[in-house]
Amino acid sequence: MNHTLILSWVTFVYFASFVLYLFRLITGKEFWGRAASFLAWAGLIAQTIALILRWEISYDLGMGHVPLANLYESMVFFAWAIILIYLIIEWRTKSKIIGVFVVPIAFLAMAYASIAPDISNRIEPLIPALQSNWLTSHVVTCFMGYAAFTVAFGCGLIYLLKNKEKGNVEKPSDFLGKLPALATLDTLIYQSISLGFIFLTIGIMTGSIWAHYAWGSYWSWDPKETWSLITWLVYAILLHSRYIRGWRGKRMAILAIIGFACVLFTYLGVNYLPGLHSYLRA
Amino acid sequence: MLIVLLFIAGTFIPPHDVVQTFANQLSPTTAKVILFFRFSDLYHSSLFYILMTLLSLNLIICSINRLPALWKQYKTPHFPEPAGIFDNLPQSRIITVGKEISKIKPIVESCLKKKYGHISKIDERRGYFFYAQRGRFSLFGVYIVHLSILIMVAGAIIGSIFGLEADINIKEGESVNVANLTKGNGLYKLDFSVRCDKFVVEFYEDGTPKTYRSDLSFIKNGQVERRGTLLVNHPLTFDEFRFYQSTYGLAPEIKAIVTYTNAGKKGGSMTLAAGDTFDLPESKARGFVLRVEENIMHIGPAIKLKIVSQKKDIQFWVFQQLDQIIAMNPSLLTKMPMFNPGLFQPLVFSINRIEQTYYTGLHLVRDPGVPLVALGGLLMVAGLIVVFFIQYQRLWVFVEQEDAKISISIAGRSNRNNQQLQKKIDYLCKRINEEINA
Repeated sequence: MNHTLILSWVTFVYFASFVLYLFRLITGKEFWGRAASFLAWAGLIAQTIALILRWEISYDLGMGHVPLANLYESMVFFAWAIILIYLIIEWRTKSKIIGVFVVPIAFLAMAYASIAPDISNRIEPLIPALQSNWLTSHVVTCFMGYAAFTVAFGCGLIYLLKNKEKGNVEKPSDFLGKLPALATLDTLIYQSISLGFIFLTIGIMTGSIWAHYAWGSYWSWDPKETWSLITWLVYAILLHSRYIRGWRGKRMAILAIIGFACVLFTYLGVNYLPGLHSYLRA
Repeated sequence: MLIVLLFIAGTFIPPHDVVQTFANQLSPTTAKVILFFRFSDLYHSSLFYILMTLLSLNLIICSINRLPALWKQYKTPHFPEPAGIFDNLPQSRIITVGKEISKIKPIVESCLKKKYGHISKIDERRGYFFYAQRGRFSLFGVYIVHLSILIMVAGAIIGSIFGLEADINIKEGESVNVANLTKGNGLYKLDFSVRCDKFVVEFYEDGTPKTYRSDLSFIKNGQVERRGTLLVNHPLTFDEFRFYQSTYGLAPEIKAIVTYTNAGKKGGSMTLAAGDTFDLPESKARGFVLRVEENIMHIGPAIKLKIVSQKKDIQFWVFQQLDQIIAMNPSLLTKMPMFNPGLFQPLVFSINRIEQTYYTGLHLVRDPGVPLVALGGLLMVAGLIVVFFIQYQRLWVFVEQEDAKISISIAGRSNRNNQQLQKKIDYLCKRINEEINA
């Protein structure tokens, strides 16, 4: 079966999973949650197969490289990493609520990758600068980091939504009552950010090592490098404000959202600036 | 404490802002700003160095400020336990009836020892206390991370002071021993020379470049000390410098492979570039190459020669595609004798082919700061793992006898994740319970 066909199905599966998570949230019936998780797992497995197929095809075309080499492939991998990290967290916390906010981001990434007119889904050959074993470790760690930050962003959104209604004792809304407890969300934000921070750190470092071999300098102040450093600093500030000032809850949620904005700019916004990472430009 | 907080806020915000404005200045709309500030130098500006120094100083000051409190935390005596720690512990309490306390004590002790190794204990009038801990060194994980940042900054500073970056363009077959410094317009004389034996560029079917490859020889004191193939992502090291394949291009000079016949018999073959001279022993003449053109007036490659002999001094053109030109314009040679490649009789010249030579663009770097930066990177990952994944857990067990009833209470403190600690306590409860009932 054609891997692009699988990927477009996966896009719809993620959307369906999101809808089911929404059902679960509104009706409170566990059945919908189980169905949603099942779809998310099915989508993840199908996507994994599609990525492996794409990898294999690139060998048949005589290029032979991991499917992480252009904007389309990175988008697809981003969605894959988001779902993976989300499902691990769901499995560990047994809470199916966050899915409502995280799975649609994966769906949007997939949809954007396949619909956006300026993104080509062709398998392209690797230019000499990308022909390196560091490509895989650099891209995988960075995107695992991005995905963990995405989960933190989803939790941050729920936190703010719930927090807004907290003072509203007179009419406790059923809908928000079903959201996880604020303390749980706070822990989840912190945990996913620590995970993302480690991944981002390793991602920046593998990038540095690669740059050391490819460009002759471990740090060139290329816009993407600079912005990844800014993102790193934003999350470092977040962690410091938690450790030193004891910030919790709302402020963490807001910082998680600011951090995610930086992640998005590092990933997509920077492509509009001139720089060494230009091969991600569509 | 507040001062420390301010320090930390102050530590992170200025470099962050600066970096951000720098990044913003890199946008294409502000190209003029870029030119004005010479953006590539911004990160090497004195302002930037001052900020880096401030960042490092603040890091050091904050770390020192926090050290006494941390040391106190590290050295906290195991007893007495934090006040009220054993209150409200329904789940973490085991109550047995009709057992000897002297038998229960060793069971508790061995369970704790099995899990935590070294433990300390104290007997009080209230009962018996045990204390176990794990991951105390993780309190200093943050210091490992901060130290790693300082090491990296030090490495970067050493690199920018003692390091060197330069570029060399070498034509195929030539050797060069002078490099252009990347920063500024200076030249740097190498104490060896680099020869490019061959440069190859390969393309995929769709025209995307596939490989850039330079075969290099490093020559020191007139001897080839090392030969190597340089590829993108595969630098070569020679004599404290690392060489990178950075660019390539066509040399402005083109060469023509020229052959001539002498009265119909095969004469000779030469590779000629503009400005070259050659001897024609048959005619006791000397030739000068005035021009070599790859495609003149869209009628293909041509060279202009001047041949000086004792009798005469002749200039004429040699076209590669002379046959086609004559076919289009049959009376050309009579009208324009200068286009006749056989003007210097009895020799007739012709161009075999035109050759363009590539030059390879090498980037060479000497950066003594790299080992420090690498060390810093390793330390940072190690430190982050300690900070995030290892926690300082302390456990107190209190064994108390009231008449026939013996109660064992377990309580703990953790500097990070209390859920994980509770899991450990639950597990310990289960184990002790099993051992007692066994």
